Amino acid sequence: MSLQYHVKLAPGDVAPYVLLPGDPGRVAVVASQWDEAREVASNREYVTYTGTYRGVPISCTSTGIGCPSTAIAMEELARVGATTFVRIGTCGTFQDRVRNGDMAVFDSAARYDGTSKLYAPIGFPAVADHEVVEAAIQAGRELGYPFHVGTTRSSDAFYALHGRPGSSFKGYWQSSWREHFEDLRRLNVVAAEMEASVIFVLARLWGLRAGGIAVVVDNVLKVSGPSGEFDPQDQFAHGGDEIEHLSRMGSEIVRLLSQRDGGRDATRGRA
Amino acid sequence: MTLQYHVKLDDGDVAPAVLLPGDPGRVPVIASFWDEAREVVRNREFVTCTGTYRGVPISCTSTGIGTPSTAIALEELARVGATTFLRVGTCGGVQERMKVGDLGIFDAAVRSDGASSLYAPIEFPAAADHDVVMAAVAAAETIGVPFHIGTTLSTDLFYTPQEGVAFGGYQQSWARETFEDARRQNVLAVEMESSVLMVLTRIWGLRGGAISVVVDDVFASTNEAGEFDAEATFDVGASNIERLARVGSETIRILAERDAARPG
Repeated sequence: MSLQYHVKLAPGDVAPYVLLPGDPGRVAVVASQWDEAREVASNREYVTYTGTYRGVPISCTSTGIGCPSTAIAMEELARVGATTFVRIGTCGTFQDRVRNGDMAVFDSAARYDGTSKLYAPIGFPAVADHEVVEAAIQAGRELGYPFHVGTTRSSDAFYALHGRPGSSFKGYWQSSWREHFEDLRRLNVVAAEMEASVIFVLARLWGLRAGGIAVVVDNVLKVSGPSGEFDPQDQFAHGGDEIEHLSRMGSEIVRLLSQRDGGRDATRGRA
Repeated sequence: MTLQYHVKLDDGDVAPAVLLPGDPGRVPVIASFWDEAREVVRNREFVTCTGTYRGVPISCTSTGIGTPSTAIALEELARVGATTFLRVGTCGGVQERMKVGDLGIFDAAVRSDGASSLYAPIEFPAAADHDVVMAAVAAAETIGVPFHIGTTLSTDLFYTPQEGVAFGGYQQSWARETFEDARRQNVLAVEMESSVLMVLTRIWGLRGGAISVVVDDVFASTNEAGEFDAEATFDVGASNIERLARVGSETIRILAERDAARPG
């Protein structure tokens, strides 16, 4: 029971603090910001680096896209000693006040995913740990990045749910999608992405800590053109330093949490 | 359109920060811990006092039991200028570590209520405002009350259809393990109002949070005859309500202090 089936990690391979991007290609980029780092495992969509950032032990494991593969990563990382999970990703926004390149700090998630429902009833809250949120706010302030604290919508569908035909192949569309994005905007939801809900639910069930930040790459209400056509390749703003900002802020969150924890097991007495 | 239909409050009647107990009888008790207070109005289950606590303007309005009347109180309080809402209630402990007299600081709620689902889809999170959680933690530390931070189960049912609880022995199979499942989900406590408070304040961009004092262990609420007996097993004594009043009022003071120190 030591080597984990999918992530191919054993106890000792990861730090208590793990950054979770979706894209396996981004793990090396994140680790390039650290003092030192080594690749410890690579299997399927799961790539893990472990090292130190400003003297603090830190790991980064990719989850792949979506909640099913993310839940597997969480289950296996927890078994090898991870206690604090910080999702670092990209997101769209529903709010005009939020600009491309800004950071979203997620204090909670709307559970439009399948996996989290298999663990806990849909009424259970997908809410980040307040210590992680606090560290994220502090990191954002210190780094001088514009950021917004609020709710993300975590969905299992990337190409569905746009307000008019053009997001799904061959114009497939459903009337229930017409005001889905508008309704989320009215609910004061800040961001749209695909993994936070299950991360928050699982950590809360287990008495571990989780939080998440994401860099905004599009406004989902504006992204489709006059035809309604959705083309993320052209429409998303991946200008250059977004991923560097994300990596820096994620690593700073871990450093601040480690400083706050002062060597104590931060999850003691939580479950 | 100023005097509100149910709470009978007008612009200027409440402070920006409002404490929300369920029981109208507890409003004057809570206000007795302030520097000064006056009863503004009472109608139905809604009683409001306004005053100052350690120099900070503060109000307290009872919500009645359950999310329907709580949603009405929130709608009408927001219209007359309230922006920060803190539930101060009682709860049953679900975890063994939640001892009677301890305080639950709720950062999130399970939405087993009806009212919040009429406002927002069930997927939407009932999450407390981060500033309120941080201030409540600081207040509990200042006052010196043992506290636990975590999830509450907000339900519209007091008499859950479990063996020996609901009238006439009425039971439902889905309710049999309600509290065991909550315990396995790491839920701290059960009460009846926090979910709708957290959902509505989040939708409106206002601040909401909830603290509750533990008055019983939900797995030990039967009397010697083996019957559910809240009268005999719940401890709603004065010292527990005093803790709630003190930590609640101190939370509001800390928030006011932090708001004033915030740049911009």
